[in-house]
Amino acid sequence: MKHYDVVIVGAGAGGGIAAGVLANAGKSVLLLERGRPLSFEDVGRDHLRSMRFSRYGVNAGPDLDGVPRVFVEQDGATRIVGPLDGGYHNLAACVGSGTRVYGGQAWRFMPQDFRMASIYGTPAGSSLADWPITYDDLAPFYERVEWEVGVSADCARMSHLPEYHRQYPMEPLPMTRRANRFEQAAQGLNWRTTRVPLLINSKPYGGKPACIHCQHCVGYACPVDAKNGTQSTVIPRAIASGRCTLVTGAMTEKINVDASGRASGVTFHDRDGVRQEVGADVVVAAGGAIETARLLLNSASSREPLGLGNANGQVGRSLQGHYYAGCVGLFEDDIWDGVGPGACIGTCEFNHGNDGIIGGGLLADDFIATPISAWNGMLPPDLPRWGLEAKQWMRKNYRRVADIRGPVHEIPSPECRVTVDTGVRDRFGIPAAKLSGFAHEETVRTANFMDARAREWLLAAGAVDVWGGGHGRYLSGGQHQAGTCRMGDDPHTSVVDASCRVHGHDNVYLADGSVHVTNGGFNPVLTIMALAWRTAEGIAAAW
Amino acid sequence: MPIPPQAPAGALLSIFGAPGVSALRALVDTLIPPDDYPGGWDCGVGDYLERGFTAQLAPHVPLYLACLAALDAEARGHEDRSFAELGLPERTRLLQLLEKDGGAAEWPIAPVRFIRIAAEHAAEGFYADPANGGNKNEISWKMIGFEVVG
Repeated sequence: MKHYDVVIVGAGAGGGIAAGVLANAGKSVLLLERGRPLSFEDVGRDHLRSMRFSRYGVNAGPDLDGVPRVFVEQDGATRIVGPLDGGYHNLAACVGSGTRVYGGQAWRFMPQDFRMASIYGTPAGSSLADWPITYDDLAPFYERVEWEVGVSADCARMSHLPEYHRQYPMEPLPMTRRANRFEQAAQGLNWRTTRVPLLINSKPYGGKPACIHCQHCVGYACPVDAKNGTQSTVIPRAIASGRCTLVTGAMTEKINVDASGRASGVTFHDRDGVRQEVGADVVVAAGGAIETARLLLNSASSREPLGLGNANGQVGRSLQGHYYAGCVGLFEDDIWDGVGPGACIGTCEFNHGNDGIIGGGLLADDFIATPISAWNGMLPPDLPRWGLEAKQWMRKNYRRVADIRGPVHEIPSPECRVTVDTGVRDRFGIPAAKLSGFAHEETVRTANFMDARAREWLLAAGAVDVWGGGHGRYLSGGQHQAGTCRMGDDPHTSVVDASCRVHGHDNVYLADGSVHVTNGGFNPVLTIMALAWRTAEGIAAAW
Repeated sequence: MPIPPQAPAGALLSIFGAPGVSALRALVDTLIPPDDYPGGWDCGVGDYLERGFTAQLAPHVPLYLACLAALDAEARGHEDRSFAELGLPERTRLLQLLEKDGGAAEWPIAPVRFIRIAAEHAAEGFYADPANGGNKNEISWKMIGFEVVG
């Protein structure tokens, strides 16, 4: 049996970072990824099969067949779902995972985001809790990621955060016409604004070129490789060290442990469907909140028959993602000037300190919507969906609509869960993830509050009509999925400790959004990367 | 203007037959009618559907077969002409009426649902990237001002 210092399961945002840090620290690393490496041509520009509009397929994976999940409806009925179904809560499956096709919004969480229970209390029925670490613990690692992976932004505009120790490596991308309009409107409202930080090069950086401002950013691969995902930065550097082996098409079945709870390695199915076992001194799971929880639950042993790290029934609980609040505004003139990627100006005025509201969220202009995405999601609700009126509305208004949107800080619920269903198995015979629960009512209230702020901003910017908003209760755990294996000092209420090591297991760590206690009112990728960096440095330092 | 009878080669003809293709074309051009830009069919929606019905839209073929027949039956009930023989204003009025009162012919699903599904497919063929078979010469993108760089 082959043996490595470290086996990492999942080559996404967190797993890629962990591979880079550990390989550079001199460890031999096996990086297992269920998807495959995707070239620009592989991802393509199919508007009906992107991560933003997955009507008939998903350009960054997974394959549609042989990867079922079970979704539990609010009335308790269950159905088997595939990746195109909203109930699946899909996350990309390829080298880089979502970072292959994301827009790369690179927000740091705010200090308050790590102390939600202390600030707001714990609402009945929620699992709102503080993180076992603070913003100050993570700040040095945010900075490392900003420089090592590459972020364009302006720290002088980050007035919602403590002072930075170091400016970003690149200036923000250029302001667009609509961003100028929104910035002026915010000034009129006396709201501070910030430039949207992006993992996209605004100048040549890290051996890669600058953004060409194309219209296919979020949901697509970058044609010039100006977008900084793990697949184009830390993973190639890890491989270049000679100490990291990337194996793709490898679906991990379980983490193997001995009688004392110490991991000995993993069992996986290779691209040819051959079941393999490898040994490791340390195992790092980084498959995303749903797949990591599934892996731990499927790694049951005689010592922990309910799953690895699940002696207290915490694995899989408090699955959370982001409700997206916001509205669409219609303007009298072309507010969109065609300059990509589009996300440009944001406000953090409402992430905290909202009277009677728990938390809040970020609001920002959004990436450019393809025409079919705009048709699908940005039309006024009373517009007929066919006929001359629909056609002429698109012709007149595609460049006159703009949306203000943002992720809402969710109030986690312990009943939002990942479990496994042994009666439904994937193509390798591994029990499927089963997703159940729906958001806490406070999340809905916050989302509705944020809708109203988006409306206010659009109207202040001169919108002649505004529509959208309004939220029901549903499970939220898609591309921003988090929770399920939360950090904490108490094994009875958490799965990993403050170093992201699984309670009761000396050598098993997690490096993805699953460890997030709460998921911030921000796109979470920079936090996933920073935390993975901290975890990996901790592993290397202790050994 | 009524849709002239036409006999396209290929998959659509073998699936729907000539009268069915005429009805489909009439439907597409009612959902996305010509104005000073061409209608949906001439912009490639027919090509999109032709490819789609043998691929991702294949599961919808039985629905279209039944619903296009029902559409013809409705048209004959009202005007004693096939759906394709009606002018655009009559076709538009008929679809609006069917959305409202459900029609008299035999429909496998409520006409309002079929019209919504067909409108979505037509929009896919009209607004999505041309590599899917539709949006001929990126005409809808030119129409709305979606200019691709890079």
